[in-house]
Amino acid sequence: MIELRQLRKHYKMGDSIVHALDGADLDIGAGEFVSLTGASGSGKSTMMHLIGCLDRPTSGSYRLDGIAVNRMGDRQLAVVRNRKIGFVFQTFNLINRTSAVDNVAVPLIYSRKTSTKTAAMAALEKVGLTKRASHKPSELSGGERQRVAIARAIVNEPKLILADEPTGNLDSRTGEQIMAIFHQLHAAGTTIVLVTHEMDVAAQAKRIIRMRDGKIVADEILDDAKRSALQAEAHAGSQPVGSPT
Amino acid sequence: MFLLRICMMAASSLRANLMRSILACLGVIFGVAAVVSAMAILEGSTRDAVKRFETLGADQIIVTNGNDGRRGQRSVVRLSLTHADADALGELESVENTAPESLITAQIKYFEKNLSIQLLATNQNYARINGYKPERGRELTKQDVISGRKVCVLGYKVAKELFGETPAVGTRVRIGGLGFTVVGVMEKKGFLGMRDVDEQVIIPLTTGLTRLFGNKYVQFITIQAQNSNELDSVTQEVKRKMRVEHSIRAGEPDDFRVMTKEQITQSVGGFVDIMAIVLYSIAGISLVVGGIGITNIMLVSVTERTREIGVRMAVGAKRGDILLQFLLEAGVVSVFGGGLGVLLGRGFTKMLENVTVVLQTYTTSRSIMMALGMAFFTGVAAGLYPAFRASRLDPVEALRHE
Repeated sequence: MIELRQLRKHYKMGDSIVHALDGADLDIGAGEFVSLTGASGSGKSTMMHLIGCLDRPTSGSYRLDGIAVNRMGDRQLAVVRNRKIGFVFQTFNLINRTSAVDNVAVPLIYSRKTSTKTAAMAALEKVGLTKRASHKPSELSGGERQRVAIARAIVNEPKLILADEPTGNLDSRTGEQIMAIFHQLHAAGTTIVLVTHEMDVAAQAKRIIRMRDGKIVADEILDDAKRSALQAEAHAGSQPVGSPT
Repeated sequence: MFLLRICMMAASSLRANLMRSILACLGVIFGVAAVVSAMAILEGSTRDAVKRFETLGADQIIVTNGNDGRRGQRSVVRLSLTHADADALGELESVENTAPESLITAQIKYFEKNLSIQLLATNQNYARINGYKPERGRELTKQDVISGRKVCVLGYKVAKELFGETPAVGTRVRIGGLGFTVVGVMEKKGFLGMRDVDEQVIIPLTTGLTRLFGNKYVQFITIQAQNSNELDSVTQEVKRKMRVEHSIRAGEPDDFRVMTKEQITQSVGGFVDIMAIVLYSIAGISLVVGGIGITNIMLVSVTERTREIGVRMAVGAKRGDILLQFLLEAGVVSVFGGGLGVLLGRGFTKMLENVTVVLQTYTTSRSIMMALGMAFFTGVAAGLYPAFRASRLDPVEALRHE
């Protein structure tokens, strides 16, 4: 699904060059549930922007679903984001002046679908929010807003869901509900990449990738033993964020 | 379909900021109101003028003082037309009748009643040329004109106001301090050319020129051609005859002007065109100012909605989609302002009609469509720069924007 080879991203900051991503090699297969963790400045946001086709690498190659996206122009990237990727953000990023169902329909509009209502309602049903379809985001709770955002992410039935700290603005109980939806999507075959610095959230994935200073420093499959260990550490608060195990 | 959805998105953002949108397109509102009222007034006055000239016969040619020279040279009109010119033109084969006409404003008095009227001094042919008949008594006769009799024929409204239901024919009235005998009352006619002849009193030309007007010249001569299909050749004949009558040597300019009804209507049209240019310039300036207002508010909107733009890009909006969205949004805001402007303009013209009474306005659906179209293009043009800025945003930066 995702193949990164020596992917680099450099920024100019004044006179110095920041190596936000410094030669990442990564393969994520279709249907995997992966968390990407690391401290702020570790390069995980840059990684997410590159995987999400929001940004282009300085060098290296990136194949998404078999297509070399690192050579694509703005227009083609927009199409890739529209068809293959669903984004879920920490701050939900809904459009406040329109209803939940209209928010969900936005990606459909950009894929020039003639009828959007049915698909949007179906997506809302998957997150259990059909009853709130005509409510505006301001009339919804945080958890409901994030569910609307997830519905928007899945409305075009993308192969990849990219979630950036999806539980960061929610209390732990609501966060668990949101995570339950990701588990459902994963069970249905969608590839999920979850960017987070919360260890107990990251531990829910099947595989965990840790980053530091623009490099991947650890990449391991989580079995039940490791998961419990991670969760225990997270709850004890002794887990230094982003440190390799 | 895509465009429709984008328009609906634009409408929703307009609703969300209703007051701000109205303020932003204030310039467009006034601009469009100006366009709509200008067109209504122009259309109204053109129709009014054309309607009035329609009352003149199609076989008429008008000779007036002054020459055909450039407009600037006509500031002083030298009087040259005389009663004799009218008679001479009447002798032409192709001319049926001629009526010399002079017009002043005068007071007519009957016992205690005093009325301001248009006093027309003319000859026996005037009524016939215009298909204008007396209702009571008679019209002017040749003898009245030759002898310079002090007789008058009253217009319909004049008779009504002075005499009410009592018979007017045979009574004596005073016009401009001179005693006249009423010999007839004309039928109700309304406008004949530019004036309401029901408010007019007709006296013999000779009487008027010698006793009331104080000069020997007439203001214009109305000519009725034998055949209305030959107006052009008759016009040429009239010109030649006039040059002979006025002893104008070859190469010297005419000291008169000859016009057909059509040419008069056109010259009214020409005046209306100038008015139109002035009014449209004003409207154009308001629209430019309105456009700047919209550019301004769209820039604010783009900044405010940077994050939304980022999200839209993330879920698959192409740069072109964002550009189109903001362009249409500016267009929709502007058309909304245009709609308010149309209402304002309509209100304004209705008010003008009620206040001035005489002014006719006429709002066509074409003028409304045109005004709204102008508003839309103003909006789109005003939205170009903000929309371009929105479309060039970097998605990553836009998503980070607070």
